[in-house]
Amino acid sequence: MRHILVAAVAAASLAIPVLAAERPGEAAFRTLYKELVETNTTHSTGDCTLAATRMAARLKAAGFADSDLNVFVPENLPLDGGLIATFAGSDPKLGTMMLLAHLDVVEAKREDWTRDPFTLIEEDGWFYARGAADDKSQAAIWTDALARLKAAGAKPKRTIKLLLSCGEESGARINNVRWLIDKHPDWIKADFALNEGGGGSLKPDGTPLALVFQAGEKVSQNFKVEAINPGGHSSVPRPDNAIYALSTAMNRIGGYEFPIRMSEITRASFTALGKMTPGPMGDAMLKLVADPTDKAADAIVSKDPRFHSLLRTTCVATQIEGGHAINALPQRAFANINCRMFPTDTPADVGAQLKAAIGDAPVSIVAVPPVNPVNAPPPLAGQVYEKAAALAKQHFPGVPIIPSMSTGATDARFLIAAGIPTYGVPGLLSDGSTNAHGLNERISVKWLLTGRDYLFDLVKAYAGVK
Amino acid sequence: MKAFLLAAALLAAPAATLSIAAPAAAGERPDQASFKALYKELIETNTAFSNGSCTLASERMAARLKAAGFKDGDIRLFSVPSHPREGGLVAILPGTDPKARAILLLSHLDVVEAKRADWTRDPFVMVEEDGYFYGRGASDDKAHAAIFTDTMVRLKAAATKLRRPLKLALTCGEEGGNGDVFNGAEWLVKEHKDWIDAEFALNEGSVGIRNKDGKPVSLGMQAGEKVYQDFRIEATNPGGHSSRPRPDNAVYALAAALVRIGNYEFPVQFSDTTRAYFTQTAALTGGDAGAAMLRLVANPQDSEANAIVSRDPTYHSMLRTTCVATMLDGGHAPNALAQRAGANINCRMFPGDPIENVRTQLVAAAGDPAITIVPTGEISPTPPPPPLTPLVYGTAKKLAEKHFPGVPMLPAMTTGATDGRFLNAGGIPTYGVPGRFSDPDGNGVHGLNERKSVAGLYAERDYLFDLITAYANAKDAK
Repeated sequence: MRHILVAAVAAASLAIPVLAAERPGEAAFRTLYKELVETNTTHSTGDCTLAATRMAARLKAAGFADSDLNVFVPENLPLDGGLIATFAGSDPKLGTMMLLAHLDVVEAKREDWTRDPFTLIEEDGWFYARGAADDKSQAAIWTDALARLKAAGAKPKRTIKLLLSCGEESGARINNVRWLIDKHPDWIKADFALNEGGGGSLKPDGTPLALVFQAGEKVSQNFKVEAINPGGHSSVPRPDNAIYALSTAMNRIGGYEFPIRMSEITRASFTALGKMTPGPMGDAMLKLVADPTDKAADAIVSKDPRFHSLLRTTCVATQIEGGHAINALPQRAFANINCRMFPTDTPADVGAQLKAAIGDAPVSIVAVPPVNPVNAPPPLAGQVYEKAAALAKQHFPGVPIIPSMSTGATDARFLIAAGIPTYGVPGLLSDGSTNAHGLNERISVKWLLTGRDYLFDLVKAYAGVK
Repeated sequence: MKAFLLAAALLAAPAATLSIAAPAAAGERPDQASFKALYKELIETNTAFSNGSCTLASERMAARLKAAGFKDGDIRLFSVPSHPREGGLVAILPGTDPKARAILLLSHLDVVEAKRADWTRDPFVMVEEDGYFYGRGASDDKAHAAIFTDTMVRLKAAATKLRRPLKLALTCGEEGGNGDVFNGAEWLVKEHKDWIDAEFALNEGSVGIRNKDGKPVSLGMQAGEKVYQDFRIEATNPGGHSSRPRPDNAVYALAAALVRIGNYEFPVQFSDTTRAYFTQTAALTGGDAGAAMLRLVANPQDSEANAIVSRDPTYHSMLRTTCVATMLDGGHAPNALAQRAGANINCRMFPGDPIENVRTQLVAAAGDPAITIVPTGEISPTPPPPPLTPLVYGTAKKLAEKHFPGVPMLPAMTTGATDGRFLNAGGIPTYGVPGRFSDPDGNGVHGLNERKSVAGLYAERDYLFDLITAYANAKDAK
């Protein structure tokens, strides 16, 4: 009964968003979001510490004690600070959940943008600004959620920890998450973390297509392939040649296909995608889930490079270099092979497969340090996913939720490696025109506020707030 | 000389049967003493690109010519304002027959860099030790410069009448350098060909071989050299994030093309020079390898013979145009798909093989129409090799039998390059004169402790004096 009721209410609110009354705390959220976006946090000229301080001030105003607000500043990096806010829970047995978002944004030049990238501009149903989506939408929603709960006198059972970090985009000076794991692991102890990387997609008509629940990321590992040769004068070529040896190895690596891997997450992904996708592609996805050795199905699904990469470890030559003079036979030629390892594959195993693929080509291959730890993906089964999925049914009735593994990387890779299962939450739906990292970044006002509603309820559900 | 790559395999030839009259070690002749003074002055005038002066060396040689009786009008010192230290000299000794065409003696004055700290002795002080003259340029190429200048001096001082005019060109910039180099030979051909125009020119470029016991194995006469040309091969791609590889990839496309180019073999070609070279080398070599050389000369399509002869990388290179990948680059970040991948292909083209013909074969070998291959750097002229005429080759061979009895003379094409390429392209057939012998270790040419055998230098001088005189008095070829 309750479910149906909630669903009906949610459906009604989705159907007539323009007429919907202002949401609870919406004005305060808009103010907070605006302040955050208008605090420049680029690597070159911005100040994450200032943004963290401003968010701490808002939480303090909502009732947080100073002792629960930790504005940290890494040594000698005054602009690269962040915030950890703690909302203690009543039941220590439930442990801690972390809400993670990064404060820093990709560079943005005023002269390249149509509008000032560091002024929040609402226009035709969109918020325009650098960071409007990536990742200040998430940072504002988490901070706003904590402020609302505190101001309302909520008593969470599970401890909630908010981490607003710096250095996710550039990382050239520091990455806060990695720094905290190294220097202050006790500050960020948590049983699971909620992060960017999930979201969802809108159809061309602007209605929801699917929600995405991200669990796990592929692991990046570089290998160096190298050929050496005595060289000599190029007027008398030798039969063997470092560039040709490397080229032969490249051909063989390029022709090698890693075996299909399925995890709990990708199996769920392809099951959901298979049901949604019409025609031979959808059928092939479902066949592949049933039988990962189905080569015909693999051939169809892997035609799409995104799916190809989700189904296996991939390795690709990204950089090559060789020789020392135009008129001398090369003494050395080498390549960087960038691998995105399926979370259960190890660098040793991937290296061995590359070596086998190279065969008798006279080259060496070594993993380039740092050799990354294997990141066993966080489990999908369990209350984290189940609660998110159940709540999604209420907020987004009829919209499928797709578990997914990322082929790229977020700060989750550090937390997962540190033993904190980290998930990219669903909720913020995009039509693909967000242009994160690019010009005129934007987010739909309607879908930002809708996502905020869902994520606020999700935090309450996880924290056990009535 | 930029490279001195001749068939090292000849060192293995049966040399024991060859003999040579040993030149007198002691008792220097008076004319040798004055030659030595000139040679010493030249070596001790630093002409390295970084801190030397070819202009000074030219002035010093001009002073010697003047002292021998050359008139001011017969000596030209030249340089360009942008390269004041890279000057040179052209001198003429008029002939008696107003219709006879000149013989040109060409040598470069500049030397490869040499650091005192690296050498056992000061590289710019001529030291005579254990039968060798030590010094930078002792062999490359101040031996020729000294012999040629000394020849002009002696002929003038003795008032010798020669039928043909004799021209001397001492130039700078042959060895190149770290920066903008002025090549005097190239400049003369382009700007003042009349100063140096000749029936033919004598130059460096040939290497006779001496075995480890000091015995001459063969004399060389260089006629033609392979032509240097670089090409850029490049593959492009839209690229993208490396976490999602596309089916097409610039690195792999380039790699596939490079492997195919590496496997491509240019067709066997012969010139008069290499035909004569392999015919004579066959006799010296004997056995299966010698027989294969003769079969290949008779039929350049004989793939079995080709396989045997081409086992030796030097022969392989003398038989055809060769192209080899020397530099490789591609990609812009370790985590991004490459948008561009390219390589430098360094070709040594058989004389007369046009650039476009070589490019067409590279394109066909690459087998990927999406890949571009274009010539880069200086676009080299591709002159045909100079002919081995009876006048040039026959005279040299006949005189060699007198000066170096029993030592065979091999015509040779070099796989590296000298200034001869500019003259050949400018219509002056240019030959690397015989007379010079290299020890098995290469005598430190371009390297440390460069040296030249004292007896060898004097023998070479005597031979070249007779040869130049013979050429200058020879009748015109029909």
